[in-house]
Amino acid sequence: MSKFGVDLEVHIASLRRYARALLRNNRADAEDLVQEALVRAVSRSDSFQAGTNLRAWLFTILHNVHVNQVRSKAARPAEVDVDDVESKLVSPARQEESVELREMMRLVDALPEEQRKVLLLVALEGLKYEEVAELLGVPIGTVMSRLSRAREAIRAKLANEGGVALRRVK
Amino acid sequence: MNARQVTEDDLHAYVDGQLDSNRRLAVERWLADDDEAAARVEDYRTQTALLHDLFDSVLREPPSDAVQDLTDRLKGRLAFNDNRPAWHARPLVRFAAAVLLLVAGAGGGWIGRGVQTVSPAGQQRQTLATFAEEATQAHRFYTADERFQVELGADNQDELNGWLSKRVGRDVFGPDLGRIGFRLIGGRSLPTDLGAGAQYMYINEANKRITLFVGAPQSGNPSTFSFTQNGDVATFYWVEGTLSYALAGRLSKEELLEIAKAVYSDVKAGPPRRPPPSEPQPRPAETAPQQPQMQDAPAAVQPISDTQKPKDS
Repeated sequence: MSKFGVDLEVHIASLRRYARALLRNNRADAEDLVQEALVRAVSRSDSFQAGTNLRAWLFTILHNVHVNQVRSKAARPAEVDVDDVESKLVSPARQEESVELREMMRLVDALPEEQRKVLLLVALEGLKYEEVAELLGVPIGTVMSRLSRAREAIRAKLANEGGVALRRVK
Repeated sequence: MNARQVTEDDLHAYVDGQLDSNRRLAVERWLADDDEAAARVEDYRTQTALLHDLFDSVLREPPSDAVQDLTDRLKGRLAFNDNRPAWHARPLVRFAAAVLLLVAGAGGGWIGRGVQTVSPAGQQRQTLATFAEEATQAHRFYTADERFQVELGADNQDELNGWLSKRVGRDVFGPDLGRIGFRLIGGRSLPTDLGAGAQYMYINEANKRITLFVGAPQSGNPSTFSFTQNGDVATFYWVEGTLSYALAGRLSKEELLEIAKAVYSDVKAGPPRRPPPSEPQPRPAETAPQQPQMQDAPAAVQPISDTQKPKDS
């Protein structure tokens, strides 16, 4: 496979991972989000400028689709908000994982969405701060403060709620 | 160099591998004296590792048929669009060059070099940084996927090495790291900006996996050990002879350095049970086995950070 083909496959695998984390481990919703983003990417493939950042381009499309989905859901208040069924959406397999992982899952889910997005894009997907700022349409200072608040919120809870020993690298 | 105080943002950028080498050095010095900040950095890294533990499994789930179909269509569409400029004009590469950490200089100190140089040496560093970036990405991707982590297993190492040598177009081999507790499980070939690369994967008893990425650089000048950290994946990379090497793992820099030293001395010694290359390769007598020293490199090059304490284990 070409270098380009490998890149694209890797980026789309990343999109699926990010969507899953963003949508609180709801597999069906995450695949739907990625699918809709790819439909849009195919229809707008002409707008992709050769030589520019393919990964950032794909994440930007996914972000825009997600924002639109959230907006249209908000316009239909009859639907149950995802927060209300959060506990049911976590797949049973998670039960067997370590206390630490489950705690991390819970804390990430509890973050305000704007902070969760920044943390996931930076720490999980390895996007640059500049890319995240451009993607979200906010100043880079905002990216940094959201990242900091997200990490500190998780850190305070992981450290304070007993029984969770942080792994130390050394 | 570190006149400016280390900021909150610097700590995050340090964890995320988004600092240039000068700031990185300043942060490391700061952390050596500030236990509170060091603990925060460690906790942030733990968070990154936990995120990968939680969600990397998605990478090995098969995508839905619709997503797979759209991926194929997008590949077709974008491939036409893919008249990419040379590697050095690509934003990713320029950034990779910006985070390049050069481990070099007199007395074993670290001297960070900026990216503003356009000298051939500077270009080589950028190419190597790209190589390291690709090695890191490949490590992330294939260690997340236990079913497809290798194309060819290590049951028959001669077959594995022969196959990968053919792909890379040079003699490559996966060194035996059994003495430091890592077992070769196999390898795969991957396209890179420098042509085909070979990825060897190893595992230890604690199920920790490391990958050694080997490729043929455009120019083969011996270089120094360089280090880059991207999230929780640490990578050492260097050039030896006509090949580039990048060793990646979710380990601390110190732990990975110990493994890098073992790999370095093994690849320098050459493949096992094979006649040495036809051109004689003089081995400097003063090179101690555990202390890699680069030929033609500036004096006293050592892959050691000034914040790193001497280790005996």
